[in-house]
Parts: sequence; C-alpha cells; structure tokens
Amino acid sequence: MQIAQLADQVEIDPTQTDSIQTGAFPGSWINSNPDTNGIARLQMTQSDGKLLLQVFAMGPEALIDWGAEEVSVFTSSPRSRVGAGFTCVFDFGFAETRLQGMIMKGLLVLAQFHRFKDDSGRVDYFVREYFGLEHGRY
Amino acid sequence: MTPILEFKQSSHLNPALVDPAKTQLSGEKLLGHWVNTNHETKGIAECVIERNDDRYSVSIRGVGENGLIAWPIVTAATLANLEEEAGQRTVALAANFDFGFMRAETHIRINKGVLVIVLFNTFKDDSGRANYLNREFFYRAS
Repeated sequence: MQIAQLADQVEIDPTQTDSIQTGAFPGSWINSNPDTNGIARLQMTQSDGKLLLQVFAMGPEALIDWGAEEVSVFTSSPRSRVGAGFTCVFDFGFAETRLQGMIMKGLLVLAQFHRFKDDSGRVDYFVREYFGLEHGRY
Repeated sequence: MTPILEFKQSSHLNPALVDPAKTQLSGEKLLGHWVNTNHETKGIAECVIERNDDRYSVSIRGVGENGLIAWPIVTAATLANLEEEAGQRTVALAANFDFGFMRAETHIRINKGVLVIVLFNTFKDDSGRANYLNREFFYRAS
C-alpha cells in the first residue's frame, strides 16, 4: 500500500466499504458574525446520493445567491465512514472561490480561497468564517 | 473613471484588495523550518517554507514506518490573509501535492505564531480508503 504518511496506512477490504455518512451536513448554516461581508448562510442538501451546497453571500443591498454545487466529502481518517468536511468550487468567470469546510464540535469552519481571473488588479485572498447549524432546539 | 468591478459578495469590493499599501503582503512569518507540535503524529513531521523572489516553495516530510517520507517540493499559491496576525496583514499559502495514488490539497497559515496546515487528502487508487482531512500544528525550529 502506498502512503505519504503513516496515517494513510490502513488495511481495508475495498469490497466491504460502506458509503460515507453525511448526516452531519444537511441544513441551514448561519455565519456566527452578523457583520460579515462574506458568506451569510450555507444551505446543504442531499439529492440522489449527492451532497449539494448552496451559498448566500452578503451583497451591498441584499443576499447574493451563488447557486448550488456538489461537494466532495472527507472523513477524519482513511478508515472512517463518517463525513467530517468537504471541498467545493464556485466558478464565477471573473473569479473562482474554493471552499474547504470542516465540522468541529458542531461548528462549521469554512476556509475560503478567492482567486480573481479578471484584470481588476485585486489580490487573491483567504478568509475563514464560522457557521452554526440552525437546529431549532433550546 | 472608476472601473466597474464584478462581485459575488461584498468582500470582493474590499478597497484593501487593490490598495498597494495593503497588498504588499509579507510572508516573512511563514518562512523557515517548522516541526510538528505533536511528536507522536502519524502525519506531517516537518515542513520547510522558502521564498525565491515572490514565489514560496513548500517542502514537507511525512512520518513513515522506517523514517521520514519526502513529499515532492511544490510552489504554493499566495493569498492575502484578511485575518490579521498580530496587527499585520500576512499571506496564506495554498499548496497541492500529487503522489499519484493520492492528492493532498493543503492550506497553510500562521495563527498566533503557530503554523497551521490543513490537509484534504483524496485517494486515487482502489484501496477503499476514505478521503480524509487533517489539521496539524507546527512550531518554528529555525
């Protein structure tokens, strides 16, 4: 078995692998910062075995709907079958935003990589934001 | 005449993104030899970040069964880190490693003097291993 680090070294029967559980993701995730200039809300849904992410970002006058993209799900180890994070890319033409999310103790930490493809002279930038799942309890 | 900028969120219009005084970002704090704070890690043992002109190279060694495993040295993409570190704007790095059997997508940043590497590992072989993420912390050795 090929590895890049010891953590990669797990013996798994490829014919006996269950699908990855993604139950922690679906729902509406709200930014912990009410004054954000970035992403206000994430809507995650499951459809036909796919996990979709729809982003609503802050605009000057109203929320901007980025639409939905399929995410790639990641677990916390090669042996785990429980989803713990995801990656996803939104291509807007003038810019591309790559998202890397990870759930920690119920908090979704979202790293955002904004790369401009136009000639506006804007620098590419990175930001992290934090989201809580609207769970309707308490 | 002010150009019309396309945007998909208000932060795309942040004046700091085109302000030369603020876009001359320093990655000085990222440079050097970094060692994992967890001496029992089964992941990344150490990392060296160097700069040539405006390019940052990332050299990583993972923990192996019989010694350290040298990862391919890659050039990282630099991004302005809009989160301030000790009152200063700095850069974050995005670096991707392709091992053939696996791809590791990482981002690297400084948080209060600690180097943080977040990895998203995607297996490309038929081993049945789940794609997984990991986050590790490093202190400066030199």
